[in-house]
Amino acid sequence: MAQPSVTEERLEHLKHYFIDSDQQFEASKMGMWIFLVTEILFFGGLFLAYIVYRTWYPELYLLASEELHTFWGAVNTVVLIGSSLTVAMAIRSAQLNQIKGLIINLYITIGLACVFMVIKYFEYSEKFAKGILPGAHYSYEGIAHEKANIFFSIYYMMTGLHGIHVLVGIGLMVWLVFKAKKKVFHSGYYTPVEITGLYWHLVDIIWIFLFPLLYLID
Amino acid sequence: MATNEATSNVKRIQVRRFKPEEYPEKHYLNEEKGVWAWMTTVDHKKIGLMYLASITFFFFVAGVLAILLRTELLTPARSFMDADVYNQVFTLHGAIMIFFFLIPSVPAVLGNFILPMQLGAKDVAFPRLNLASYYIYVIGALFTLVAIFTGGVDTGWTFYTPYSATTGGNVMAMTFGVFILGFSSILTGLNFIVTIHKMRSPGITWNRLPLNLWGLYATSIIQILATPVLAITLLLLTMERLLGIGIFDPALGGDPVLYQHFFWFYSHPAVYIMIVPGFGIISEVISTFSRKVIFGYWAIALSSLAIAFIGFLVWGHHMFTAGQSSLANMVFSFLTFLVGIPTGIKIFNWLATMYRGSIDLKAPMLYALVFLFLFTIGGFTGIMLGALSVDIHLHDTYYVVAHFHYVMMGGMVMAFFAGLHYWWPKMFGKMYSEFWARIACAILFVGFNMTFLPQFVMGAQGMPRRYFNYIDQFQSFHVFSTIGAYVMSVAFLIMAGYLLHSLLKGKRAPSNPWGSRALEWQAASPPPLHNFHHVPVIINGPYDYHKPMSEFQLGIAASHNGHHHHGDEAVKVEKSEKEQA
Amino acid sequence: MSVHHHISSAKFLWGVATSLFILTFITVFVTWIHIPEPWNVVVAIGIAVIKALIVVAFFMNLWWDSKFNVLLFVMSIAFFLLLIGITLLDTLYRVDPVPSF
Repeated sequence: MAQPSVTEERLEHLKHYFIDSDQQFEASKMGMWIFLVTEILFFGGLFLAYIVYRTWYPELYLLASEELHTFWGAVNTVVLIGSSLTVAMAIRSAQLNQIKGLIINLYITIGLACVFMVIKYFEYSEKFAKGILPGAHYSYEGIAHEKANIFFSIYYMMTGLHGIHVLVGIGLMVWLVFKAKKKVFHSGYYTPVEITGLYWHLVDIIWIFLFPLLYLID
Repeated sequence: MATNEATSNVKRIQVRRFKPEEYPEKHYLNEEKGVWAWMTTVDHKKIGLMYLASITFFFFVAGVLAILLRTELLTPARSFMDADVYNQVFTLHGAIMIFFFLIPSVPAVLGNFILPMQLGAKDVAFPRLNLASYYIYVIGALFTLVAIFTGGVDTGWTFYTPYSATTGGNVMAMTFGVFILGFSSILTGLNFIVTIHKMRSPGITWNRLPLNLWGLYATSIIQILATPVLAITLLLLTMERLLGIGIFDPALGGDPVLYQHFFWFYSHPAVYIMIVPGFGIISEVISTFSRKVIFGYWAIALSSLAIAFIGFLVWGHHMFTAGQSSLANMVFSFLTFLVGIPTGIKIFNWLATMYRGSIDLKAPMLYALVFLFLFTIGGFTGIMLGALSVDIHLHDTYYVVAHFHYVMMGGMVMAFFAGLHYWWPKMFGKMYSEFWARIACAILFVGFNMTFLPQFVMGAQGMPRRYFNYIDQFQSFHVFSTIGAYVMSVAFLIMAGYLLHSLLKGKRAPSNPWGSRALEWQAASPPPLHNFHHVPVIINGPYDYHKPMSEFQLGIAASHNGHHHHGDEAVKVEKSEKEQA
Repeated sequence: MSVHHHISSAKFLWGVATSLFILTFITVFVTWIHIPEPWNVVVAIGIAVIKALIVVAFFMNLWWDSKFNVLLFVMSIAFFLLLIGITLLDTLYRVDPVPSF
């Protein structure tokens, strides 16, 4: 059993087809892990495209990654790892029944996610200005390789889909803040916080791979 | 409680005997009324029926398209439709049959209905997600309709690049529709895996899990591992059309064979998404109508998982002539043969189950036998196509068409009908006309073989698939095949007739018309809204036909202390004899 | 029926994050010293894998989680490697590995 405490009595979250909170919590967490499996394979397709083209044109990757700013990539890595930390702290606060701490940590996480997106926005707009546009609109002359458009198609697909996941994460976190303010969560029930945290960590992990694969090619 | 578990892994619980209520007045179909109650229901049984209605509609549409195709092929030149229309019609026939009928048919219809009942659960683990997956399916279907009415799609159901990236029509709406549909499939798989792990009634250990659930479990695993790759494939294809990202388009520097790798990494396992749940149904039906313990329980259960796994290793056999490296060709050809092993294990175990059983040739069993016969032909011809040298000759001919129709229609659709006839009394509480069911099954069997056997011959002689025109020497085969298709449609009309009659005026079904030992038959027909009025307790396996019926009707009256989600804990049952009277 | 909800201490979580920050610095640092091919890729991917495993084990609590959830994660990685490995069997060994048109 979970920690016996006063809040143990609160069972309004328990669905009738589950026997107890633990069964419900475990089922939700397993469901989230299965969803993460699908996410890994979803991004896996893009990593496959990346790897196939990198084995075909290693010199293209060397040339094209010059256009990406390692510094801002590194800053974004630090920002996302920081947000992973605050999400983990948010879950800890929920487990300890500290609703105020939960809300503060969620706010910091949302803030860091927004910083990530703002940096991404400046990176994108700088490239758009140069003519490094996705797909057939590509018009940049600065890379001496005929397949430069393919590298940036892969770049935009990977970072774009990752960015969409960050936006979804921000939305989920805002929703969690609303719920937390309504005093929905307590140490006996914090499932949505837990599984949103799992999702957010996965978004972080994908960036952990995108950073060296796209920015750090020397 | 923690100390309890430390000392003993065995819990003692009091159980009573519950006979299912016969001909109940109140059941899941009439406990809530109104269209709104149906549309917002989270009941797995009603969602299953909503899926049933939807896939029946799509099966009808794609079936009509098939009849149009066969009619066009009566003459070597144009009969009544143009070549462009022909291309669109065969594309839609394939895409609708596969994405809108075959993939959701068994998991989303029969699986949704039966899975929680076979576990003794009140519902799946995530009922709202289950309803969401139905609406996602509907939205995906709407996109497809948009595609049909705004230019159509003529790429074939595989959407191969570069043709699909450049052809006219509305490919984007179609691929986006299928993309959305993938999420419906993923959510169903996710739901089933969690439900099987977490919602089992006391006593349902992994070795008492009905084989139907092993089949659905293997299917769900394929769904969650393969479908995301389809999603990214179709997203990339959509982007190819929208932005010209060039990853798959040789005109922009991309590689079209890479698209085929992406596509078949999903679509080969997808044929196992279609067929493996069918295996589960066949196991249930054969055991029930042979009145015998299933032969080789673990062999059948694990071979489902083996097929699911091997299914991921063989996708390249669709690409033998597409220009992939000869090394990959050899590896894929070799791995393809491996699929035959677990499939053979299943067939032999089913035959061994029937051996010296008291076989009752009711309609579900007839369909199961038709399945065994047709699926074996489909499987053997598949092995032939997997052989590299043979495939170079037979690739993209009618031989391939005949092969996958033997597997998909002769295998999967027959298994679906076996399951539909088997669980029909449970789903609707009505019996159908046994006589007409047998007639329809026989006509279907004859019509099916008339349609597709000649296609093996003409394929071997070189008739390419997807061709609008053909040379005169193939006409007699085509005419024969078309007549076979008409015969099949007669069988479908008969089936529609007696099933509708059963719904409207059928005799009421008892709770267990087939005398099955499986758990879903211990509930009333049709079941109450929450499936069981008690928590069922399982002490015997679902195929223990040598034990009396009374041992299968045990349960706990109080619903909140019996369930536990650690299936590996043994349950010791104390029957209180007083209460048995 | 007991489920163990693991609660990490704040100190521990900070420690995990700090190790991730350090690894991020190392991975950027090694690009400055230019390790020769192919070891630069190996090192970059190796560090990323270590970072990912740290996140999975200690932020996502898989270290203390049920075996089946661990299995799910392992399975997703295994099938991802399968997708890549088998596709490379083709793309690396084509007679003409560069799409010529």
